[in-house]
Amino acid sequence: MPRYIWWLVGAALIVAPLLSGNRYFLYIATMVTILIPMALSINLTLRLGQLSLAQPAFMGIGAYTSALLVMNLGVPSGFAILAGGLLATLAAVVVGPIFLRVKGVYFVLLTYSFAQIVNLNFQYWTTPFGGNNGLFGIPPISYPGGDLISKNTFYFLLGLILTAISLYIMRRFEKSDSGMICDALNEDEMLCLALGSNALSWRIAAFACSALMAGISGGVYAFFIGFISPDSFGFQLSVDLIVMNVVGGVSSTFGPVLGSVIIVPLLELLRDARQYQLLVYGLCLLFFMLFCRKGLVSLVWRGLRRNSFGNA
Amino acid sequence: MISQILVNGVLVSLTYIIMALGFTLIFGIMRIVNFAHGEFYMFGAFALMILFDQVGLPFFAAVLISGVLTAALGMLCERLLFRRLVGEELPGMITALALSIILQSVALLMFGPADQSVARPYVGTWPIFGAVVPWDRTVVAIGAVLILTAFYLFMKFSRLGLAMRAVALDPEVSGLMGVEPGLIYSTAFGLASLLAGLAGALMAPVYTVGPAMGALPMLKAFVVVILGGLGSIPGAVLGGVILGLTDSVLATMLDSTVASIASFVVVLGVIVARPTGLLGRSI
Repeated sequence: MPRYIWWLVGAALIVAPLLSGNRYFLYIATMVTILIPMALSINLTLRLGQLSLAQPAFMGIGAYTSALLVMNLGVPSGFAILAGGLLATLAAVVVGPIFLRVKGVYFVLLTYSFAQIVNLNFQYWTTPFGGNNGLFGIPPISYPGGDLISKNTFYFLLGLILTAISLYIMRRFEKSDSGMICDALNEDEMLCLALGSNALSWRIAAFACSALMAGISGGVYAFFIGFISPDSFGFQLSVDLIVMNVVGGVSSTFGPVLGSVIIVPLLELLRDARQYQLLVYGLCLLFFMLFCRKGLVSLVWRGLRRNSFGNA
Repeated sequence: MISQILVNGVLVSLTYIIMALGFTLIFGIMRIVNFAHGEFYMFGAFALMILFDQVGLPFFAAVLISGVLTAALGMLCERLLFRRLVGEELPGMITALALSIILQSVALLMFGPADQSVARPYVGTWPIFGAVVPWDRTVVAIGAVLILTAFYLFMKFSRLGLAMRAVALDPEVSGLMGVEPGLIYSTAFGLASLLAGLAGALMAPVYTVGPAMGALPMLKAFVVVILGGLGSIPGAVLGGVILGLTDSVLATMLDSTVASIASFVVVLGVIVARPTGLLGRSI
C-alpha cells in the first residue's frame, strides 16, 4: 500500500469520532488519545534500554496534583494540568539520578517498587487523596464556545493536542543529539563515555520527558473522567502500556501509537468480561514476544518497503 | 504479646521462604524474573481444592499430588516458552507476565472470580509460651520445614543439585564440564514450580482460593529475594525470616498499608545501596 493511504487512515480515525456523534465512540477515541502519550512515555524509557514501571505513578502524580489544585485552591484547570506535569517531571528529576544508575531487571524492580510506594500513599492518606475511594466530582474544564463544541468533542480535541505534542517530543528526541546519544549508549556505553558524553544526564533528561508526558496525560485524564482513584494508576496500567508497546512494536514512535489504537478499544469492549480481556492480553503478549518481536509496525513497514521497490 | 508476634512471624516467614526459593532459583539459573510464580502457587491451591475437597483424597496425598502437577505444568512452560529466552532478561520477564495473565484468566474462566474456601483438615489451637498457635498453621509450618530440609539436601548432596549450583555460578564453565543446560533448566523450573505448588496446596485451607490469590505471595517472594540477593539461596532464607518478622511486627503495631510501604522503601533502598542484596554475589 502506498504511504498516503496510511495518512488517509490516520485522518479518517481522527475525523470519524467527531462526525459520528456517538458519545461512546467519542469516549473511546478520547481514551486512546490520553493513553497514546502514556504508551509513548514508556516507549521513551525503552529507548534508553530500560523498562520503567514508574509511568503510572507519574500519571497519578499529575492527575492528583491537578485535581487537588482545582478542587481545593481553585486554580484554573489549564495551569493545574501544567503544574501536575511539572510536579511529575520534578519527581523524575529527583529520583532519576538514583534510579538510572541501576540497570536491567533491577531497574524494573526499582521502578515497580517506586510505583507501589506512590500508589500505597494515595491509598493511605485519606486527606488529601481520598484513600481507596479516590477523588470524586473533579470539575470539568471550562472552555470558551461551550455551546458550539460539546464537552466530549472538547476533550477529544484536547487529547489530540496532547498526542500531537507527545509525538513532537518523541520525534525531536529521535532526531536530536540526545536521541542519537541514547541509541549510541545502548550500542556501546564504554565507547560513548570515552568520547565524553555524560550518559547519566542524557538519560535523566529523557526520563524527565517521559514523566512530563505521563503527568500531563494524568491531568487531562482526571478532568475527562471526573473521578480518580489509586486503582487507575496501578500495576495493571503498566501491563496495559507494555501490551500496547509490544503489540505495536517498540522500535519506532509509530509502534505504541498503533498499539494504543488497537488495544484501548479492545480493552473497553471487553471491560465487562475481564476473564476474556486477560486471555486476549496474555495471548497477544505471548504471540508477539515469541513470533513477532518487532510488533505490528514492522509488518506495516515491510508492506511499505515492498511497494517502494515495486515488487508488491 | 511479643511471643505471639514472634510465632506469627515465624509461621509467615516459612511460606515466604518456600515461595522465594523457587523464584530465586529460576533467576539464578535462567536469568528470568518469573512473574508467573504466584500463579503456580494458585495452581497448586486449586489442584488441592479439587483433589482434597472434591475427589476426597487424604490431605497429605492431595498436597503431594498438587505439587507434582504444578511441577509438571512448570516444566511444560519452561520447555515451550522459557527455554528460548534464557539470559534475555526483558523478553523473559514480559513472557512470564503473559503467562501469569493467561493462567489467571484460565482460572477465572474455570472457577469464576469469587474466592472459595477449602474444608480445614485440622482445627483448633495449641499454646506455646503464652502464644496461641492454630493447628492448621502448625501443619503448614511442619510441611514447610520438611520441604526446606528436602530442598537443602537435594541442592547440597545430589549430582543434579551440584550441577544446578554450578550453572548458577558460571554457566559457561559448567557447560565445559559437561553439564547439560536443557536438563538443568527443566529441573530448576520444575523444582521451583514444585515448591510454589506445595506452598499453595498447604496454604489453601488456611486462606481462601481464588484466581488472584497468587499476587500477594509473589509480591512477598519478590521483596524477600531482593532483600536476600537475586539468585542467592541462603539470601532467600535470610530475607524470608527478616520479612516475616518485620511484617508481623508492623502489621500488629501499625496498619498493613504502612507495612507494605515500609517493605517497598526497604526494597528501594537495598536495590540502590546494595543491588546484590544482603547475601548476593556481585553482578
